[in-house]
Amino acid sequence: MDGEQLTEQETALYDRQIRVWGADAQRRLSKAHVLVGGVQGTIAELCKNIVLAGVGSVTLVDGRPVTEEALNANFLIPPDEKDYAGRSIAEVCCDSLKDFNPMVRVTVEKGDLSTRGTDFYEKFDVVIVSRCSLNAKKTINQKCRKLSKRIAFYSVDCRDSCGEIFADLQNHSCTQKKVDETIECHLQYPSFEEAILVPWKALPKRVSKLYFAMRVIEKFEEIEGRNPGETSVADLPTVLKLRNELCEAQSFTESQIPDALLERLLSGRMEFPPVCAIIGGILGQEVIKAISCKGEPLKNFFYFDA
Amino acid sequence: RFGTVTENVFDDNFWENLNVVINALDNVNARLYVDQRCLYFQKPLLESGTLGPKCNTQVVIPHLTENYGASRDPPEKQAPMCTVHSFPHNIDHCLTWARSEFEGLLEKAPAEVNAFLSSPDEYISAMRNAGDAQARDTLERVLECLETERCKTFEDCVTWARLKFEDYFANRVKQLTYTFPEDVSTSTGAPFWSAPKRFPHPLQFSSSDPSHLHFIMAASILRAETFGIPIPDWSTNPKKLAEVVDKVVVPEFQPKKDAKIVTDDKATSLSSSSVDDAAVIDELISKLKHCRKTLPPDFRMKPIQFEKDDDTNYHMDFIAALANMRARNYSIPEVDKLKAKFIAGRIIPAIATSTALATGLVCLELYKVLDGSHKREDYRNTFANLALPLFSMAEPVPPKVFKHHDMSWTVWDRWVLKGNPTLRELLQWLEDKGLNAYSVSCGSSLLYNSMFPRHKERMDKKVADLAREVAKVEIPPYRRHVDVVVACEDDEGNDIDIPLISVYFR
Repeated sequence: MDGEQLTEQETALYDRQIRVWGADAQRRLSKAHVLVGGVQGTIAELCKNIVLAGVGSVTLVDGRPVTEEALNANFLIPPDEKDYAGRSIAEVCCDSLKDFNPMVRVTVEKGDLSTRGTDFYEKFDVVIVSRCSLNAKKTINQKCRKLSKRIAFYSVDCRDSCGEIFADLQNHSCTQKKVDETIECHLQYPSFEEAILVPWKALPKRVSKLYFAMRVIEKFEEIEGRNPGETSVADLPTVLKLRNELCEAQSFTESQIPDALLERLLSGRMEFPPVCAIIGGILGQEVIKAISCKGEPLKNFFYFDA
Repeated sequence: RFGTVTENVFDDNFWENLNVVINALDNVNARLYVDQRCLYFQKPLLESGTLGPKCNTQVVIPHLTENYGASRDPPEKQAPMCTVHSFPHNIDHCLTWARSEFEGLLEKAPAEVNAFLSSPDEYISAMRNAGDAQARDTLERVLECLETERCKTFEDCVTWARLKFEDYFANRVKQLTYTFPEDVSTSTGAPFWSAPKRFPHPLQFSSSDPSHLHFIMAASILRAETFGIPIPDWSTNPKKLAEVVDKVVVPEFQPKKDAKIVTDDKATSLSSSSVDDAAVIDELISKLKHCRKTLPPDFRMKPIQFEKDDDTNYHMDFIAALANMRARNYSIPEVDKLKAKFIAGRIIPAIATSTALATGLVCLELYKVLDGSHKREDYRNTFANLALPLFSMAEPVPPKVFKHHDMSWTVWDRWVLKGNPTLRELLQWLEDKGLNAYSVSCGSSLLYNSMFPRHKERMDKKVADLAREVAKVEIPPYRRHVDVVVACEDDEGNDIDIPLISVYFR
């Protein structure tokens, strides 16, 4: 919808949620365009949430064919093989999402996201990548930052019963409701690359062990040339060795990244549906906050372990 | 619908066959009912709820945790009457007032008029019998509709609207500030108009102010509706409406020296009694009787019921206008019609994200419940607010332990008495534990109470028989016991909350 006022149809449809974030935020949502790369279970939940919220458009990128493994946590894929055979995950999910809200334009984009140029990214306001390799994360994040248009970037990954969210909103201004008054806040976010360069020893004690564990696994996948998530328990000895090397380089105690945690993450390539709902819900709300500029967003990593 | 009314559908068999109960309810009463059922049938309950971006999950495990009803939220605070009526300080107060005026002017007054006209003699004697300040106020309102402020044409309605504007937003404020000037002190010497009270200023009506005109439009249209007067096309034409309203003669206002204005926070009524209420009522009644003679015999008014969702009926327009003009008096920020509807309509906001979050969290607890071997410390209750963002997780609280002599129990426990005992034997069994039972009930029926001499006849009857005969309990063929609630005192006369007692008769 390009008009300045919400249409009567929108006001009626979005009635219950306008009461939460106001008509102005709803207007901004209807003009926002979201790009999503990698449609796993968590992303399926995320897409459902932002489609119901009434964003302008959602573009899905995931050319992988539908397999039984994908059915495990992705509720958007119909269980009947004749409905999904021969089609990509993005195509199948696109159809399901359209049913949730016909007012949102849901489309599929083919190809590799990290090779697309900045003119492609210019079309979007929010970019979310899931189960992405270290290199792709850095590249796509950079492309978002290169443009003069401010694009919010999120990376999410759920393995076993754990979830990680990273947010880069660049220069973000928002309003926050505190008791009876509204205050304005301005935040400056680092890029993913900048964030992970912070020496581990310099980080506050309360930083979750998951942060470090995920960095180890991320590095492991890069060195071994693995696709993200293509790991198993058999990799544990190599990963432990890598952890020790990284810890030594960072003067960081190994016990801060427990063996058991790394083992869970390596063997947990599949997602756990309740965790998908939880992370998808949280990420959905973060995206809505970023688009509406209402409410304090995540700063800048979020971890969950069921 | 869940409640005592549907216990024929959701019967004992239904509950006994469940392994776990998961709530997805929309009100506290239903939740409390389900909690009671789960308590009785000893079933785990996974409770959750959302309110906009906030969500809450709670795990209830028999014997391990406290039940849902063990802790209650404090009741919602309602603004005191004098705040709403004379000293508002936020838009909620203004909207509450607006809602109340809407009802009074457009629903209650016409309804009272019709009650009087339909059965005048009954109505009059009821008012005389009541004889109080409220009856006096009601009669005054009826007389206003039928005589002093009666409307026959749409122009009359515009006049009424203009005079109401003057009364609400100019005269009442002038009276208030006359009685309590800006610099006046209370009896303790503190300034009367200190926070949170806001000092009001009267509004000067102007037909070129669109919000003033909008008030007139909504008010006239609704007033016309109550009198069954057709609404002309020009009523929604600002220029023409302004012309008509400018012709209304507005009398000068003189504040009264002895006006009674309620300032007590705890006051529940605004009608102030006076000695001559009965005399005034008599006078009003004779005026009304005279009035009735001048009206056509089938004359009735049309009470209007507030309908918030119809955008074309002017209800929300009128309420928003009332609230905003009042807000303007008190320098409170005004709201648009949509926001006014949300606040006045009291509808629960809902979004998909917090719902998904709550669902995911409940599912995580469900796995633990079904697994069956978890300690209390393994479960998690969560409170989250996605807007802040805030995530808070905690272990569930264990149930409260009651103690008496060497016994201890929680709300989950049952005491068991076998051997098909009589009432006397049941009471003796409790006395042996140092408990003096004075009342025994089954379901909602009283089986025994020490106050009633007739109940002594029941002492040697079997408890199970009493349940069947007195409480009319239907015992399924597979059931071997009946459950009774016994009220007890200890030797010092203190009440002790004891568990439900399962009396086995087979």
